[in-house]
Amino acid sequence: MIDFVQNTVDGIMFGSSYALLAVGFTIIFGVMRRLNLAYGATIMLGAYAGTWLHVHYQVHVLIVALVILASTVLTGIYVERLCFRAIRRDAALASMVSSFVIWMQLEEVAIHILPERTYSFPSLFAAEPIELGAFLIRPEHVTMLVLAVVMMGALHLFVHHTRHGLALRAMSENPRAASYMGVNTGWIMLLSFALVSLVGGVAGCAILATNEQITPYFGLWATFKGLIAMMLGGMGSLPGAILGGLLLGVAEAHSQWYLGNAYKDLSAYILLFAILVLRPGGLMGRRILSREEFASRRV
Amino acid sequence: MLELHGLSKHFGGVKALDGLDLTVEEGEICGLIGPNGSGKSTTINVICGVYGQTAGTVRFRGELMDGKPPHQRLRAGIARTFQNIRLFPNLTVWQNLWVAQNSHQDIARQGFLPRWLGATRQTRKEIVELLELADLGHKGDDLAANLAFGEQRRLEFARAAAARPKLLLLDEPAAGMSQREIDDLGQRIRRVRESGVTVLLVEHVMELVMGVTERIAVLNFGHRIALGTPGEVQRNPAVQEAYLGSSAPESGPEGGRA
Repeated sequence: MIDFVQNTVDGIMFGSSYALLAVGFTIIFGVMRRLNLAYGATIMLGAYAGTWLHVHYQVHVLIVALVILASTVLTGIYVERLCFRAIRRDAALASMVSSFVIWMQLEEVAIHILPERTYSFPSLFAAEPIELGAFLIRPEHVTMLVLAVVMMGALHLFVHHTRHGLALRAMSENPRAASYMGVNTGWIMLLSFALVSLVGGVAGCAILATNEQITPYFGLWATFKGLIAMMLGGMGSLPGAILGGLLLGVAEAHSQWYLGNAYKDLSAYILLFAILVLRPGGLMGRRILSREEFASRRV
Repeated sequence: MLELHGLSKHFGGVKALDGLDLTVEEGEICGLIGPNGSGKSTTINVICGVYGQTAGTVRFRGELMDGKPPHQRLRAGIARTFQNIRLFPNLTVWQNLWVAQNSHQDIARQGFLPRWLGATRQTRKEIVELLELADLGHKGDDLAANLAFGEQRRLEFARAAAARPKLLLLDEPAAGMSQREIDDLGQRIRRVRESGVTVLLVEHVMELVMGVTERIAVLNFGHRIALGTPGEVQRNPAVQEAYLGSSAPESGPEGGRA
């Protein structure tokens, strides 16, 4: 029982950063109805810029984090310009293909910056695990959870209570009508890419500081986790993305404990398979889909 | 106010618009009618920047609009409604209006908080007024998707008005409306005009067009075949032929709905 609770708590904490990754994919998918495959690589390259600084100049970890956030945002804007802005709205597939190409490009750039296979990543702070009765809690996990909650809260405020957030929602509802109602769709696209890159940068920092190492495959890893969490929750649903991320974290924690490390990733795929068979739209996706259908029937 | 000069729009070999000249004067309600496929909707789409024209120019208040994206045209003062309603279904009625209203405010001159948070007391007051105009005062917090058809039409009208346009393009606003709703719409169009907005009305419901407009332009095959007061247009033989062909006397411009 103690193991079960411990695993669940660990899973929720680590899952909160999966949730952030999934939110990044979801916002872009919601606004543009396109998949940004370069999202994980964007975060990876940003993290590499910070790591480079750490390797060569041993600067303080907070400066590393700031550099990572800034360079993730810049990379995100680069991806937007190349894969999304440049391609017409009705050519969603072309965007996806080119974002895949940019993913490869960003990986190459990272390998040129730091050619070795792995580098150590500074942990945010050196602290012993906290003992709470029978439970053991890693401070890195707590940081991760706190960061995720703060980011989600800020995102929620932004999307629901600011004019740019409103414009973003209007655009994900009906991009054409939004543009005729005065929404500068190009600016909103840029803003949402900068925003999700920032979110991804925070998630990347939290994850890498926990793992204490970085490889070029971090991009692939983040893309997998983010996409799986998004599909679990349901495409285009923000609460779904959060739920999917947490669920993925918990499932991984349990399977790692009960079945062993080798089954950790496998369990994620089995979970995704099961959920997609039972609820093809994802956990929260079904309602969204039927609501859209409903809306399109009447609007 | 609005000058279209030699406006052409070709889709492949189809000439949807073919050298259209039309001037809309400030403060008038101008009608734009014609048989199906005569280029009415294309005209509206070119004016507000859905697609660029093949040839010709669009001038609005003396300013050339060519190549400007839709949101800039709205900022210049051109708002529209859609033939098929295009609301934001999962935003509330209030938020639907707020999106459009955000467009006209001079954001750059405002402080940080209003720039990002938007809804100041002034904007709230304006939106309440618009809800009254659209007779949706009690529905402000409902999702647009949950409104009845007539209410959605009214909301779309109010949303276009929320952008505080100088020129309002109405693309078949009476489609699917009952007689009473059409009468209401006519009144609403007049009220908007009284507040200083110029209106270009594309419509198939002839009694509405004949009732509210001062001038009507008639299109056929992408160019103008007649221009004049409602009475003049009704008597014009070229118009009668375009609508009636040689027979079918029931469905002309005088025959209620064409």
